[in-house]
Amino acid sequence: METTKTIINYTHRQAGHCESGATSNLFKFNGLELSEPMAFGIGNGLYFSYIPFLKIQFAPMISFRNLPNTVFKRSTEYMGIEATVVKKIKDPKEAMEMLDRNLERGIPTGCQVGVFQLTFFPPEYRMHYNMHNLVVFGKEGNMYHISDTVMEHPQLLSYDDLLRVRYAKGAFAPQGKMYWINHPVDRPIDLKPAIIKGIKKTVYEMIGIPFPLIGVKGLRWMARDIKKWPKKHGEDKAAFYLGQILRMAEDFGTGGAGFRYIYGAFLKEAGEMFNNHQELLEASDMMGRTANKWREFTYIGARNCKNRSKPEEDYGTLSQKLLEIAADEENVYKKLKNLKF
Amino acid sequence: MGNPDNKAPDKVTDDKDLIYTYNRELFYHFDREKGFTQAVHYQNPDNQVIIKQSWDAAEQRLEEVKQLVLIGKASPVAYYMEKILMEVPMLAAYMEISKWRVKRHMKPGVFKKIKPEILARYAEIFEISVDQLRKPDFIK
Repeated sequence: METTKTIINYTHRQAGHCESGATSNLFKFNGLELSEPMAFGIGNGLYFSYIPFLKIQFAPMISFRNLPNTVFKRSTEYMGIEATVVKKIKDPKEAMEMLDRNLERGIPTGCQVGVFQLTFFPPEYRMHYNMHNLVVFGKEGNMYHISDTVMEHPQLLSYDDLLRVRYAKGAFAPQGKMYWINHPVDRPIDLKPAIIKGIKKTVYEMIGIPFPLIGVKGLRWMARDIKKWPKKHGEDKAAFYLGQILRMAEDFGTGGAGFRYIYGAFLKEAGEMFNNHQELLEASDMMGRTANKWREFTYIGARNCKNRSKPEEDYGTLSQKLLEIAADEENVYKKLKNLKF
Repeated sequence: MGNPDNKAPDKVTDDKDLIYTYNRELFYHFDREKGFTQAVHYQNPDNQVIIKQSWDAAEQRLEEVKQLVLIGKASPVAYYMEKILMEVPMLAAYMEISKWRVKRHMKPGVFKKIKPEILARYAEIFEISVDQLRKPDFIK
């Protein structure tokens, strides 16, 4: 059997968040240096939703990020860059053939995958989580070369293993989804309009959606619920639920503190791009401090879960701290809403 | 609550406190002097405890199901589903049958009458043999 070998000259750079990292690396490959925070900010990565009546892995569904593929789709769209997203491919074999054809044409390709069966992934994170992203940039015989921005180094994955993770089932199943930038960026791109569009959309999603479980409203709702958890569910379950919030905020692919740092870094870079726009820089500073408050919250929460019998802070105090964070975040979005460029 | 305005509450830790050291991740940090920075390090020990707590909870759930199987209140399907951390809707999606049928297969009485081909599909998803599925090793 002859072995085919195609390896694209693609640079793997580790990142805080899988999708904005993949997006940023794909841009770089196509000749446009765009940092991870920029991809994340323009592509509306920031989000919050709390859906208490939907249980994921036995705890209320909480998300600090937008739906899968939002970052790639919106950043390319807002910047006017031709990209392709194939949402759903029915036949797994066909999905692998499409990927191979892309590699032969020299196109590194993003894939949505589930992490449970992702063999190289850190074992402690291998639960049924389907919103992960990686970029395939080569094939050697039966093995694919993979850039996964959670990992320090590029990885290898066999045909069967890659097929399996691309067709993981359950909530947000990837269904073979793949995406790529069509061709190298051959003209100068003015990022400013894209930044403005990105900020406006995120502001809308965080304070403008008239639904109580999304954005800052959702955060407040969760803060009020936390207070009731010990009584309603008992100490053990309350600690488990709290643990899930902390994991969502600090675990793989958030850059820490629920993406708030990455967004702050985006506002900073955006501010510099608009000739040191004073208010954008202030908003970035506010977001940085909010992120630190989040991290402080996760630390206290973690220690609480550790010493369940004699917690440092009760759930009332934790709830209070979250309400404070919600108020801080709201101030950032209100400031951004009134920005003049 | 310390002084979160000026200083990130992060600390560099000894690796010996850590439970998980398979891969270093990239984290962002912020403090008002240095602004936003990136650093590659292991997850901090407090958060590692949370991750472990989540695995411990899964283990406890598995132990509970095991007991139910032993006293004849649940079928091995329930046990193996828990073992690969699945829930009914996900298992039903992998099996390509209705959630209702998966739930029924968790009753020991119904389990005994499952058709061999369905049993084989379960075994494939659980990555075990049909014999192991029929009689998990913890049953004497």
